[in-house]
Amino acid sequence: MAHDKRPLSPDIQIYRPQLTSVLSISHRVTGIALSVGALLLVSWLLAAAAGPQAYSSVQGFMRSWLGLLLMFGWTFSLFFHLCNGIRHLVWDAGYGFELGTIYASGWTVVAASTALTVAAWFSSFVVMG
Amino acid sequence: MFIRSSDQLPSVTALKRFPVPRNFNVSTESRIERGKTWHAPAGATRVKKFEIYRYDPDSGQNPRIDTYEVDLDTCGPMVLDALITIKNEIDSTLTFRRSCREGVCGSCSMNIDGTNWLACTRFISDTAEPATIYPLNHLRVIKDLVPDLTQLFAQYSLIEPWLQTTTPEPEKERLQSPEDRGKVDGFYECILCFCCTSGCPSHWWNGDRFLGPAVLLQSYRWLVDSRDEAAGDRLDDLEDPFRLYRCHTILNCTRTCPKQLNPGKAIAAIKKMIVQRRS
Repeated sequence: MAHDKRPLSPDIQIYRPQLTSVLSISHRVTGIALSVGALLLVSWLLAAAAGPQAYSSVQGFMRSWLGLLLMFGWTFSLFFHLCNGIRHLVWDAGYGFELGTIYASGWTVVAASTALTVAAWFSSFVVMG
Repeated sequence: MFIRSSDQLPSVTALKRFPVPRNFNVSTESRIERGKTWHAPAGATRVKKFEIYRYDPDSGQNPRIDTYEVDLDTCGPMVLDALITIKNEIDSTLTFRRSCREGVCGSCSMNIDGTNWLACTRFISDTAEPATIYPLNHLRVIKDLVPDLTQLFAQYSLIEPWLQTTTPEPEKERLQSPEDRGKVDGFYECILCFCCTSGCPSHWWNGDRFLGPAVLLQSYRWLVDSRDEAAGDRLDDLEDPFRLYRCHTILNCTRTCPKQLNPGKAIAAIKKMIVQRRS
C-alpha cells in the first residue's frame, strides 16, 4: 500500500518542550524513580533486620557520594510527585484549566518541590546533624 | 515564562527540543535528510532564512530540510506570506495548504519553530533565525507541508458532530436562551486546524484509538448545547479507556491553540459529566 511508504512527520524529535509537557513527563519519570527508590529503601530495612554487618555495608553505600546523590534524587522525586500530584487532583476536580493558572500552578510546583527538597536536606544535615 | 494566552511567545527558550536522538523512534522512510539551500537574490538587503520540511512522493527519496533565503523587502509580514513568496518566486514545487489568510479556515496549520500555529497569523518577525517549518506532527505526509488528515476527520465523524433530537420538531426553530447559548462560547469557535491534536503526545502514541483534543472539544460543544438531546448516547460513546481517558492532562493543546480555546478544560468537563451522571 502506497500509504504505508509515506513518511511520518516528526513529533517528539522536533516539538519544542513546553512547561506543560515537561512537567507531565517529569511526573512519570519521578513516579518511576520513586518505585525504584522504594526498592532501595526496602534493601536498607532488610539489611537492618539482617544484622549489624549487612547494615553497615548498606549504610556505607548510602553515605557514599553516589548513595547521597540517589537519595537526593529520590527526595526531589518524592516532593515533585507529591506537589504535581496535588495539581493533578485539582485538575481532576475540574479546576485550574485557564492557561495562566496552568503556568502559575506549574511554576509553583517547581518552586515548592525544590524548596521542600532543600529544606529536607537542610534539616537532616544541619539540624539533626 | 508565565504564559497567560496561547498567542504569547516565550521570552526565553531554555530547551529547543527534547533530549532525544534525532531519529528516535523514526522509521527508515521518515528519516529527514539535509536538503539544499536556495540563496537570496543578489542585492537583497533584509534576508531571512526559512528551514522547511520537504517531501516529494514522486522522487522516491526521503524527506529533507531545504533552506530558503527570503528578501523581506519583497514579502508580506506573516509566515504564510513568506511561503507564498517562496512558491511564487523561488521554488514553485513547495506545497502547502492555505485559504483564508486570516485565521478562520484552519488550512495553514503547521509546526513553526517547534510549536503548532497557523502560518497566516504568525508574524515573520516573531520567528527564530532561521525559522523552522514542519508539517503538523505525527501524521503521514502527502507532500511537503501537507499532512494526511483522514484519520483525524474520521475521528471527528465518530462523535456525530450535529444536533440530535428525539422530541417532535417545533413549529419554528429550536430556541435557546442567551445563557444557554453562552455555554458553547469558547468551544464552537474551533476551526479544526488540528494544531492541538497533532501537538498532543498522547495522540502521537495512541492516536489510533484516542480521539485527541480537537475532536473531544467538538464533542463537548454538542454535549453542552441545550438543544441537543443525545448527551447520554454521546457520553456512552466516549466512556472508554482510550477514546477519552488517554488524555493525561498534558495540556499542550491549550498552550498551542491558535484560536485561544481550551481543549484541556473541555476534556475535563466531559470527564466530570461522566462522573456526575453516575451519582
